[in-house]
Amino acid sequence: MFGTRKTSRFRIAFKTAVVLACLALVLSACGDDEDSAAPEAGTETTAPATTVAPEEMGEEVLVMEHLGDGSLGTVEVEPGEAVQIRSLNAITGDVAFFGLPIERSVVLAIADYGQVHGFDVDMGTGLDDLCSNDGGQAAAQIIVADEDVVGVIGTSCSGAATAAAPLITDAGMVLISGGNTSPALTSDLAGTPGPNYSYGYYRTAHNDLFQGRVMAEFVFNELGITTAAAIHDGDPYTQGLAKAFTDAFAALGGDVTGFSAVNKEDTDMVPVLTEIAAGSPGALFFPIFQPAGDFIAEQAPGVSGLEGTVLLAADGLLNTSYLALSQTEGMYFSGPDTRFGQNVNASTGKSAQDFLAAYESEYGEGPAAPFWAHGYDATTMLLDAITAASYVSEDGSLMVDRQGVRQYLDNVRNYQGLIGVIGCDDFGDCGSGKITVVHHASSDDPEASMGNVVYSGGGN
Amino acid sequence: MANNWAPKTKVDWFLTVLRVLALGVVTVGLLAFIAQQISVDNPFARLINPDATGLTVAQFRGLVISGLSQGAMYGLIALGYSMVYGVLGFINFAHGEVFMVGAMTGMITSNKLDDAGLWESNFIGSLLFIVVVSMLVCTLTAVIMERVAYRPLRKAPRLIPLITSIGISFFIQNTSVVLLGPTSKAYPDMPDWLTAKRTFLEIEGTKILVICVAALAMLGLWLLVERTKTGKAMRAVAEDQEIAGLMGVNVNRTIVKVFAVGGAMAGVAGILWGVLFRSVIHYTGFLPGIKAFSSAVVGGIGNLGGSMAGGLFIGLAESTGPLLILEPLGVSGVSQLRDAVAFAMLIGVLLLKPSGLFGERLSAEDRA
Amino acid sequence: MNESHPLLEMRSVNAHYGAVHALKDVDLAIYPGELVCLLGGNASGKSTTLKTLLGMLIPTSGEVLLDGEVVTERPISYRVKKGVTMVPENRRLFKRLSVKDNLELGAYLRKDTDHINADMERVFELFPRVKERLSQKAGTLSGGEQQMVAIGRALMAGPRVLLMDEPSMGLAPALVQQNFELIQQIHEAGMTVFMVEQNANMALSIADRGWVLQTGRVVLDDTAEKLLAHPDLRTSYLGGKES
Repeated sequence: MFGTRKTSRFRIAFKTAVVLACLALVLSACGDDEDSAAPEAGTETTAPATTVAPEEMGEEVLVMEHLGDGSLGTVEVEPGEAVQIRSLNAITGDVAFFGLPIERSVVLAIADYGQVHGFDVDMGTGLDDLCSNDGGQAAAQIIVADEDVVGVIGTSCSGAATAAAPLITDAGMVLISGGNTSPALTSDLAGTPGPNYSYGYYRTAHNDLFQGRVMAEFVFNELGITTAAAIHDGDPYTQGLAKAFTDAFAALGGDVTGFSAVNKEDTDMVPVLTEIAAGSPGALFFPIFQPAGDFIAEQAPGVSGLEGTVLLAADGLLNTSYLALSQTEGMYFSGPDTRFGQNVNASTGKSAQDFLAAYESEYGEGPAAPFWAHGYDATTMLLDAITAASYVSEDGSLMVDRQGVRQYLDNVRNYQGLIGVIGCDDFGDCGSGKITVVHHASSDDPEASMGNVVYSGGGN
Repeated sequence: MANNWAPKTKVDWFLTVLRVLALGVVTVGLLAFIAQQISVDNPFARLINPDATGLTVAQFRGLVISGLSQGAMYGLIALGYSMVYGVLGFINFAHGEVFMVGAMTGMITSNKLDDAGLWESNFIGSLLFIVVVSMLVCTLTAVIMERVAYRPLRKAPRLIPLITSIGISFFIQNTSVVLLGPTSKAYPDMPDWLTAKRTFLEIEGTKILVICVAALAMLGLWLLVERTKTGKAMRAVAEDQEIAGLMGVNVNRTIVKVFAVGGAMAGVAGILWGVLFRSVIHYTGFLPGIKAFSSAVVGGIGNLGGSMAGGLFIGLAESTGPLLILEPLGVSGVSQLRDAVAFAMLIGVLLLKPSGLFGERLSAEDRA
Repeated sequence: MNESHPLLEMRSVNAHYGAVHALKDVDLAIYPGELVCLLGGNASGKSTTLKTLLGMLIPTSGEVLLDGEVVTERPISYRVKKGVTMVPENRRLFKRLSVKDNLELGAYLRKDTDHINADMERVFELFPRVKERLSQKAGTLSGGEQQMVAIGRALMAGPRVLLMDEPSMGLAPALVQQNFELIQQIHEAGMTVFMVEQNANMALSIADRGWVLQTGRVVLDDTAEKLLAHPDLRTSYLGGKES
């Protein structure tokens, strides 16, 4: 959803500090193999493919059949130890509202799921992707330094995943995101992998191409508007989504009259709006954020040539503070289908309602952004995959086959999650891809507009 | 002066080439724009940019008005930079933050008035009130800044107060974060009759208001500086502190007054920002501050009328420049380049007239 | 003349710049209606004497008296109000301000509008050309006119004693001549003038009395004629320069 943020010197310093801290940890871990799982190369390769465990092991938890050929190594979890997974989301700064509910959904999903073959699951401390490339890289280095980690739920921001996904997948782990939507991380939905795709990366969030396409269909088919323009803010996420929209709109036979950009800090939008107005578009799509989004909505009516233009935005602006602006009245917003209704997660048996009740009682507030459901489903999928790819060995240790985890995820089809039916394609897109368009009817009642779905589409 | 234009050294040649290039880009861009306005199918226009669309008169007017209203605001801020430079000879980079303090004060005050229902029932009165409060707060901020940070450095080399001003800038920004939080805050809605387009030239009322208020503030300042004894003392101190002191002018008090007046102007500008954009955040002062400083330099720093003219010039340039010069040349995403255009204009003016549009060339005697 | 008490007086004044002992037990007395001069070479303490008289420098010991009142630690503005005004070296006009502004700044501390206007008229009488240039920027005036404005500006303060810092400094010979004529002119109009000069011949030609200062100490104190006649005046006391 969110893309890369600008690098700051502070972050570079922070990154360096983190790397140094990692080194220190790794070094200290080397000298102390008593309480660690000692995941040496020798141990990992001993795990046979599709093993049948020795028959004298009579324990009922013993599972001998499992997925995987051992080609990516095996994680051994000794009795009394826990299966290690991690959460890597944007949990600080001005995007915390978006990443924090995902991290919390991982905690709640682990609690709901219970044990894997009698072993506890441990998320450790939630890591921060800082919603940036650097943040993703720094956190990924901490994760891969611990060879017991099987999988990671994250990142929140596409920019962070660009750096984190190669590191994590190279270490044999899987990365499942509940928040990334950039097509570059998976594919163009037509069989070509994106430039930042790495095998071992999956996501339950939608691919932005769905969102751009659904918005374009809505504008062209439902509103009957044949000319449109788009504005982004230079961020890869907003640029990708704006491009997805104009491409889909042109493919439908519409006329794209303008494609421009603003700076995130801009306040005077008259020049960019005038540039757009020169093409007299019937609709204007600006999938950006506040405060730039505020200025566009406020200043558009004053620009000659945009008086009748329908304003469109994406979920980045679909929040009550934006809808409370009187000038946003009449706008349309695309976003993931958040009508989770009575959907039940097949692995835990919990419904979206159950989740929200648990979330409320645990954290004293409701989730601030809808991707909690995607995070929850991503976690249960990962735990299902670990269950399917592991067995308990003679000495009572849990053996997890890293390759088996991927094999399981590759073959997820028709899995029932909170977000609906989930199925993974060849490039890790597992999300339902269901997109809704919301109409903002009245700025006096933003809450009502949030759920005022007028169109839905997309999906596998 | 005239013989300065004949290139003598390699640097002169380089500067001459730069001047020609800068003028060339502007001229070709403008010509292309004119060609496209005559007809987008004009072969000349097609040759330069086949996707040209041209602008309508109303759109062009919108750009100009938007540029003028922001330029007027820059000009008001620029006065503070210019006056302090004139008197103390250093750039007070924290002046942009004084402007931010004004915008924040206006935000807090106007929301209080809105809660009390006065914002809607008596908008003009409320606006006057927040302007006065903002001027007072900004004046106080500027005066405290002078007393605490700059006066102890009066005898230090000019680089020292300059660096200090950058420090104060961070201090004020961070204070704002601590007191008001790191998120942007909104002004209450402007009344509909104000935001609606006037029948007169179809200009929005807010922009007319901004330009008028800026003009009034400017007039007030001009009267103060040119027509009062205090103003005379300011001008005297700006030119020769020692001699002004010999005349019995209290130099310290006059310098405080200069900071106070500059702060008051920044306070007015802060409210105009609120009226125009209705949103303020702790870094609001940064970019307008830098642009106002550029305006002061473009107009000829130390020259008050020049600062105002420089502000209008920078405002117009950044508003119309991308679409008037760059877009006709086929550059894409021109609106992202508005800041670049503003600063390129600064460089362009300095290339052609190093002392600014209305700056006086300092003679060797003056500099000594 | 010496029957009345001095208008401006220094009594055994010592002044220091850090470790440098700039004035050593200097005694000066300027009586009403006099035109007196203080002569000295570079670094002899002439400027320090002026600064001390004006209040720009507080002496380490000794007293400065204005019309009998001890003003040693009073600020400049107080002394200006009480009637001490200086015409600075090199004129130092506010060049970007109009001639009128310059004159009005001279009267900055005065509130008696009628008297100010009367003084303005007096300046115009003395220097009719200043009136013609009233709205021009001071920097655009000729050197001679600027000198008139500088003296006029000082007169606008309504001074009882006028201090002149190096009136001949940095001027062409013709202008120097003109300048000293101006000084004589205002002296004849009744003004008490205390002049600090390096050009001994010029100064003594119009002055009543004079002092010679050497490394912070008064070494000669006599009438102008006697000083002019003093054989070693220039060679021994004024830095050895023949002028």
